[in-house]
Amino acid sequence: MNLLARPPRQTTLRSAGVTIARRARTLPGSPGFLTAVAAVFFLVLTALGARQEGQQQPAQPETPAQEKQQEQQAAPAAPVQKTYVGSDTCMPCHEEIHTAFAKNPHQVVEAGKQRKKWANQACESCHGPGSVHAETVDAADILQPAKLKPAAANQICLSCHLNQKTNTGRMQGGHGRNEVACTSCHSVHGAQQGWVDRRPLAVNKQCASCHQSIWAQFLKPHTHPLQQNAMSCTGCHNPHGSVLPAMTRTVHANEPNCIRCHGDKRGPFVFEHAPMRLDGCGTCHEVHGSANPRMLTRQEQRFVCMECHSNIGVRNNTVGGIPPSFHDLRSPRYQNCTICHIKIHGSHINRDFLR
Amino acid sequence: MKLIYLLLLGLSIVAAQAQQPAEPQEAKPAETQTQEAQAPTQEAQTQTAAEAPAAGQDQATAAELTKFGGGVIDFGFRVISDVGGDFNTYRSVVNLGEGPRLFNLDWNLRDPSGRLWDNFTLRGNAWGGDPYNTARVAVRKSGWYDFSFDYGNIAYFNFLPSFANPRLQQGDFLSQRAFDIARRTSNTELHFLPGRIISPYIAYTRNSGFGTGITTFVSSGNEYPVANRLRDETDNLRAGANLQVGWFFASFEQGATHFRDNQQVFTSNLNPGNRTTPLFGQQLFLQGVQQNYGIRADSNYTRGYISGAPAAWLNFQGGILYNRPETDVNFQQANAGRFVVLPLLMFYDGQLDNATGMGRLPRTTGHFGFEVRPVSRVRVLQSYMTDRMHNTSSLLLAERLLTGGTTAAQNTLNVLDRLETNYNQHEINGLFDLTRRITLRAGHRYVWGDSRLRAPTLADLPAGQLESGEMRRNVGLAGLNVRFTQRFNVNASAEVSNGKRTYFRTGLMDYQRIRVIGRYQLFNSLSLNGNIAYLNNENPDPNSDYRFRDRQNTLGLFWTPGGGRRLTLLAEYTRSTVRSEITYIAPQFLQRELSFYRENAHMGTALLTLSVPGRASFQPRVTLGGSFFTSAGSRPSSFYQPLARFGIPFGRRVEWNSEWRWFSLSQAFYVYEGFRNHQFTTGFRLTM
Repeated sequence: MNLLARPPRQTTLRSAGVTIARRARTLPGSPGFLTAVAAVFFLVLTALGARQEGQQQPAQPETPAQEKQQEQQAAPAAPVQKTYVGSDTCMPCHEEIHTAFAKNPHQVVEAGKQRKKWANQACESCHGPGSVHAETVDAADILQPAKLKPAAANQICLSCHLNQKTNTGRMQGGHGRNEVACTSCHSVHGAQQGWVDRRPLAVNKQCASCHQSIWAQFLKPHTHPLQQNAMSCTGCHNPHGSVLPAMTRTVHANEPNCIRCHGDKRGPFVFEHAPMRLDGCGTCHEVHGSANPRMLTRQEQRFVCMECHSNIGVRNNTVGGIPPSFHDLRSPRYQNCTICHIKIHGSHINRDFLR
Repeated sequence: MKLIYLLLLGLSIVAAQAQQPAEPQEAKPAETQTQEAQAPTQEAQTQTAAEAPAAGQDQATAAELTKFGGGVIDFGFRVISDVGGDFNTYRSVVNLGEGPRLFNLDWNLRDPSGRLWDNFTLRGNAWGGDPYNTARVAVRKSGWYDFSFDYGNIAYFNFLPSFANPRLQQGDFLSQRAFDIARRTSNTELHFLPGRIISPYIAYTRNSGFGTGITTFVSSGNEYPVANRLRDETDNLRAGANLQVGWFFASFEQGATHFRDNQQVFTSNLNPGNRTTPLFGQQLFLQGVQQNYGIRADSNYTRGYISGAPAAWLNFQGGILYNRPETDVNFQQANAGRFVVLPLLMFYDGQLDNATGMGRLPRTTGHFGFEVRPVSRVRVLQSYMTDRMHNTSSLLLAERLLTGGTTAAQNTLNVLDRLETNYNQHEINGLFDLTRRITLRAGHRYVWGDSRLRAPTLADLPAGQLESGEMRRNVGLAGLNVRFTQRFNVNASAEVSNGKRTYFRTGLMDYQRIRVIGRYQLFNSLSLNGNIAYLNNENPDPNSDYRFRDRQNTLGLFWTPGGGRRLTLLAEYTRSTVRSEITYIAPQFLQRELSFYRENAHMGTALLTLSVPGRASFQPRVTLGGSFFTSAGSRPSSFYQPLARFGIPFGRRVEWNSEWRWFSLSQAFYVYEGFRNHQFTTGFRLTM
């Protein structure tokens, strides 16, 4: 594949977020402050007009590829009407992909086991009708999701995959906000491990390809065992999104995924330690890795505790209490708070977490 | 474990004998090749994982399948040298042992008839004595069922002398908070009729932890390191159904969780504790203690979820969950020795405690969001989320203090406690395609919440009054996505907040967070990756005066001249700095002092792989490199993991891999926690 080749013309792709290069020239070439203001203003106006525009739309296509087909048919300048020709037509030229695709989970589309209307037309379910492309053999005559904007490519995927529970929280997630393309992680045609390799080694590789600085933290001495392939990034994070910050996966009753393994920290405790509920484990722990024992955020334990437990005088609506006056931190006995406050994550017996 | 290990080995051997001659290996799809070329750095890092024979694992992800299936098996033997330095720290950080190992098993079984399953996958990782074992069984028949079973066993050993040890300065290296436990998790799911209009499912998850450790028995004026036996189990059973009708999707789930904790604390030896001096002329000591925890918790929850795309320009999703976990407590304690009630200056030599308690935590969570695409250039994402939990609890404690075998004092204590938390978040993002290659994003997030909880023991609040906290945070959001060519793309995002209220002194307040991820494929053989992460958080309140700054910059490259046939170079370097300053109140004088934390770290990974010229089926490879972490600041540390690895394929089915690796940890302020260790691993990789 020649990656230096110019991408083909995209001027006929006008829907589902597909940008038209021609129209782009009507906007300022360089983003500045005025452009940003205008963009925000435009956002508000268009959001308000969304419903009205939606009412004017004809019958909705099932996939973005169909939508493009409809638009192309409606375009008066379209010289040739594109039609579906079936996957067998694609096979002679794209034999490698066809062979690999036979072992891909998307094969169910081709086989008509799901989405029966796309039986024998799996290629065109994403790439759009291919009659013209089959005749001209021109890449510009077929929809290429890999060369679309991520948002447009994602809409093609989401036309089938939106309605899945794993997408819960997609709109709150960083990948959704930043328009990370589905194909960044998923192999649509690949045969070797389906559409995504779920082995921890492969998952971690995939995530680390973008989040390198996060992965580097696992080189520290005190970490979760991701380097040993005992865990994977997706064990704690849902790459499709989550209602929790940092796309943290939830378990059971929307609880943070930490308790999937650390079940003894789940509670409810008779005496709760508030940060566990209010700010989560990251209040005290560097969950990706730390040079400090127990993945703590500070080199000595007293600092982890005392930085919060120093409210005195003006509280300013913060919680955390005040330091007990009889603890002399100059003595090693009092420098490690969990020596006595054993049940620091929450206690069932003692309100000071002593047992 | 050994039984399962043998079973897996036996299965693989039987399957290997039963299989037919393999067909020629298929050419790798171009798409896969491109992906590999674009994702260089992670390969370097993951190849520094602690198992040598997995070296070629990512190169041949799945074996060619015969009629009945096929797979990959990595097995071998690991030898480790004597650990120089502190063995307990080695076990706390690395914990790899020696002996035969099944490093990796990846097996796909084919059903020749095609009636029972479409795909049957069996995977195992690090079996035979390593501290981390995983297994997965996945069986699927499209349109009929989808079954998966995941198992993980993680040994958690932690015995760091520097951690929570007040007698360290006297040369006592016994950690008073130590663990030698195993945590096992398993998850079994069975989905019926996946992809159909109605798809029911049932799932079972189990998590357990068991082992031993060291904890402290705390009494007034002294604390005593004692043995700790830990055992807790969590079982979760859930069932539900998915409904898919046209553009509308709904899911309903009912689940139940049961938790048990049967922890015990005990000793029968004379224990002087951490107090080395008499208290008012009396020497405190512990003669024996027995604590039995009987914690039981149950939780039933109901969850509903909907999503849909009623129009091409609109998606929506939402969910609600109601959960009411309940905990019941039963606790007994008996201890003998010499103890004191400090406020009363009353000495006694025995204690019997009996406690019962309960906690109730009703919790409701809801979220709703939608995405609108009014025109092709514009997308608007809006979401709302709320999470409300109110814990009410009580404890009834009956306590008897004994002197000379008779009751000296008797006390019954009834304690009520409470924690209420309401969390809310609203977020809106607008995305605008400025050009075909540039997407801008702007948005706003408002996070607010309130909490009421029991005031601390010495709080300056009237007795019985709850402490309250608030959180108010306005966050401005911005993003930029630039795709200059397929070779160069940049994704940047920023958050800026002028927080008004935060729960904790160290919580996010006035903060700026910036993230930039970029990738540039300079040539077909050379690609560069970069990360910039920056977080600056300040709490200007004079009571806190908190300043926190975290920077992490990463640069990586992947060089594969000539398509990587002879040489590949993977390298990555990360520079990380953490700077934190906050005042706290030193409790001995109630004076303000400064908590000052610094970490200036360098992290890196490099792997150079050389292939000896020869036939592809007999082309030895040598890999040199490793990873390092070194930091200065509050806890200067150096952690090195250099490695050398070679692999010699014998035909297309067998490869001999060997690896040498060195682990070295040193900490300037805690020299007794350093260790050094050589490891040599050799084994075979069979592809069938």
